[in-house]
Amino acid sequence: MPVSEVPRLLKRAELYVRQTKYREALVLYDEAIRLEPTNAEGWCQRAAAKIEMERFSDAVADCDQALLLNPNYADAWSKKGLALYQLEQYVPALAAATRAAALNANDATAWYVKGICLEETGKSEESEIAYAKSLELEIILDIKEEKNRAWK
Amino acid sequence: MKTNMPLTKPIRKVISETERLLDTELTLLRKPDAAPGGTLIDVYTYNIDKNIIIFPANYIGLLKDFVIAKQCTHLLIRGAAAKKSSYRVLSYTPDSVYRGLRQIYLDALKDEAKKEKKLPVKKLLEMLFMLYRQFHEDINELPWNPIVNARVYTRMEQLRKTQLYILLKDGKQDMDEMIDMMEIVPRRYFVLDKSMFYARDLYLAKTLPSDKLMPVVNIPQMKKFDHLEVKEMLTTRWTQTAWYQSKIFGDAMLTIMEKHLSVDWGADMSLDYYANLYDVGVNLTNDLLSYMTMKDWFIWEKPQHLLAADQQAPEYEKAALKKIFGDLIEDSLV
Repeated sequence: MPVSEVPRLLKRAELYVRQTKYREALVLYDEAIRLEPTNAEGWCQRAAAKIEMERFSDAVADCDQALLLNPNYADAWSKKGLALYQLEQYVPALAAATRAAALNANDATAWYVKGICLEETGKSEESEIAYAKSLELEIILDIKEEKNRAWK
Repeated sequence: MKTNMPLTKPIRKVISETERLLDTELTLLRKPDAAPGGTLIDVYTYNIDKNIIIFPANYIGLLKDFVIAKQCTHLLIRGAAAKKSSYRVLSYTPDSVYRGLRQIYLDALKDEAKKEKKLPVKKLLEMLFMLYRQFHEDINELPWNPIVNARVYTRMEQLRKTQLYILLKDGKQDMDEMIDMMEIVPRRYFVLDKSMFYARDLYLAKTLPSDKLMPVVNIPQMKKFDHLEVKEMLTTRWTQTAWYQSKIFGDAMLTIMEKHLSVDWGADMSLDYYANLYDVGVNLTNDLLSYMTMKDWFIWEKPQHLLAADQQAPEYEKAALKKIFGDLIEDSLV
């Protein structure tokens, strides 16, 4: 299979993820990464699927690969923060989520994970700020979702 | 608890306390098409072996946490009732459906007599059971809503902003519901349905102190009168409208709610406490039904009874219509 097939493989894999068919998605992600190991998106998306499958350590490793290729990849930092949180490694999770939120201030998950990690590390006041930002973004998303639903 | 999603400390505590008190396990599930308020599928109400809270996939942070807190409270009330006394839900039988449909029909006749453009017979017949089920659904949910919200508000301070957003959203949606049927259903029922929601919102606005929870703004017609004084609207131009009447009946329903809901919302978690909340909800439901003169429309029964009734609903409707109209009705119409 040629490298040019990678975007299509990633799209198909994403569809599987939406249907919660993570194993099927993983097969396609593996193939995409084998064909183009320098595609940071492939590593990051596979990490997301692995988080859903509760393979958190593997997900962190995939995020690290994506970040080696693109150190400013906001989504990879966000996924890494989420996976590290699940591994109860709150300090590095906080660092990752903070970086993710700095690179993409509209990432509600990153702000939320940051809030939880701050709370876990005893910084309640700072966590309130992160939660407030996360809620603000979630509400914007929810309003958009409602409009889409009404449109349909 | 089975989940791979991040949760705040207080929510994890609520879940573990719920599981401990009820000696059960809770599963959290994200679904793209889940109802905005989330759904609780519990072992006490449905024929399943595990409790599941389902919420929309786009709820990733505090919105998700609020849904979980709310549904855990519902679960605790149901579970405590099942363990402590007898958990019942409002169900219906062929006889109770007949009583409900007959009353709606008589009220519809009064309304139709005043209308220039009459409702086609087929539509009128369809409306009877549809309206009956709408009330069944609403009265099975509505009285529990202020109970659950007041409890969550008092126990989980960190969710208050989230709760406020959800309540504003719910209030608007509930008042908008049935608008497209306003000219079809008898006014009495439109008014009573809106009154229930209005009373709920008014109760929550009083119990959950916030300037932003102002139920009057949820009335759809208000949107047209942004520049007018609320007081002016409610005293002059509006007095003949269904919305004005909803406010009047809603105020009366608020008195009923306040009578029943004088509860210590901040008490520690215990089965006795939640079993008491269940009793409060049942008594409130009964009083609201009495106020609406619908007491004989529904019966308190085991959840399995309701599941069976839902399966047979089309037959119940058909039988009730036959009983009301006898030979006047053709088979093709029912």
